[in-house]
Amino acid sequence: MVLSTIAEAVKYLFKRPYTRLVPAKTGPFKTDRMRGAHILDMSKCTGCSMCQQVCPANAIDMVEVPGQYPQNPRRRFPRIDLHRCTFCALCVEYCPFDALYMTSVTGFELYTRDKSTTLKSPVELSRGDYTLVTVKRDLYVTKEVKASG
Amino acid sequence: MAGRYTLYFGPQHPGAPGNVGFRLEMEGERVVRAELIPGFLHRGFEKMMENRKWENSYVLSYRFCVEDPDPFEVAYAEALDMVFKVDPPPKAKYFRMIQAEFSRIASHMFWTHFMLGSVGLRTPAYWALAAREEILKWFAWVTGHRIYHNFSVPGGIRSDVPQDFQSRTLDLTYRVEDLVKDVEKAVLGNRVFKRRTRGVGVIKGETALRLGATGPVVRGGGLAYDVRKLAPYERYDSVNFEVPVGEVGDAYDRALVRFREVHESLKIIRQAAMEVRPGGPYRVKIPLTAPPGRGYARVESARGEYTVHVTSVGGRSPYRVRFKSPSMPLLTTVLDYIIKNEEVTIADFPVVLASLDPCAPDIDR
Repeated sequence: MVLSTIAEAVKYLFKRPYTRLVPAKTGPFKTDRMRGAHILDMSKCTGCSMCQQVCPANAIDMVEVPGQYPQNPRRRFPRIDLHRCTFCALCVEYCPFDALYMTSVTGFELYTRDKSTTLKSPVELSRGDYTLVTVKRDLYVTKEVKASG
Repeated sequence: MAGRYTLYFGPQHPGAPGNVGFRLEMEGERVVRAELIPGFLHRGFEKMMENRKWENSYVLSYRFCVEDPDPFEVAYAEALDMVFKVDPPPKAKYFRMIQAEFSRIASHMFWTHFMLGSVGLRTPAYWALAAREEILKWFAWVTGHRIYHNFSVPGGIRSDVPQDFQSRTLDLTYRVEDLVKDVEKAVLGNRVFKRRTRGVGVIKGETALRLGATGPVVRGGGLAYDVRKLAPYERYDSVNFEVPVGEVGDAYDRALVRFREVHESLKIIRQAAMEVRPGGPYRVKIPLTAPPGRGYARVESARGEYTVHVTSVGGRSPYRVRFKSPSMPLLTTVLDYIIKNEEVTIADFPVVLASLDPCAPDIDR
């Protein structure tokens, strides 16, 4: 009977709406492990290019930055194109010096119609909000056991 | 409209299953021949993966099916486990099962939306999407992303599970079950839905299997063909579940099988969640260079059997990656068979397509 559908629909008629009005009424959906825009710690990065090597989307290239960085004599830091990035966090996982983090800034917060602004220079990357950091290297690399084979 | 004529259906059509087109030979209202026009989403995944290293090729292994990415991720991780000759810790295996089963439920709920859209029963379709949304939120909580999770990696899973994993996962299964029951009641008991789907798109299980199809299309036709039972991978041999089968093999039976499968998947998740606790090993470290050899994995995805074959000749990248996906036969051989053996009108054509549940990007890759 069609009545079965109508009976269920009446039940849902008196329930609160499932959808939320974002961002007017509530903030965007976030979790503690959300993988979003990067933050670069320029005091730790040695310019080893591991992040560039491991990036599956070729979103990272190494560029020279003026200034004095004792741990990075060649002054080469990653520049990330967030338009190409797939937010897989392999760069964070493989960074040997724990210099890259990910924040919960993602989704429509990164949306732009001007694609030239998605290319984030190392200095721009280092200016991110550290209070929003969600993913660090230690989430992925602990508790590994040795290969049995 | 009388007489014979050609009608182009898709790729921009609300009744088309994703970005594929059809060239339909029509005779009045009846579809007499349907020719698939694929290729709109071809990106060359296999070659892209062969051009990447072992540690980052798996990021691409699941990105060709939005609706059901996790079985593909699990299959590639399994194949690489075989290449690297590693045995992941049991916790990782149980987690992979939970991941794949939640993906199956999410996929079936998404399918409900398409199917009900094609028969014009829109209201319960949105409840189904609410169930899917609950699962996507769970994925975002555990893995960090909603759709593409990148969590099952060669050697195990990528990180440990959160502290309250068991309680939240079990709680989610009950919430999803409540929503699914509502959708089921509203859909399967509906007279309009029955009339639109009973006797439409009939294909027997043995015939479908002979034509290359697997999954709910075969099971809907009465054949209990399921890789999880026939060749158990991960820890499917240690959990109890049934393989639901239909009788007639029409669109209604396929819907019935999919709804029953959701309940079986919830049963599997509840059993597997008891084995996944925070702490303890979850990942075996794999070396940067693989030994020469082959990796092979077959898993049961929401659409049927999915196979991965990886060849390594040593070195930093795969030599050859090959996928065999379940969607291609559904829109070629199976659809041909249905159109030749029954009178499919243009109004029934989207219903037949939706009931087969193909994944267009998976056909093209």
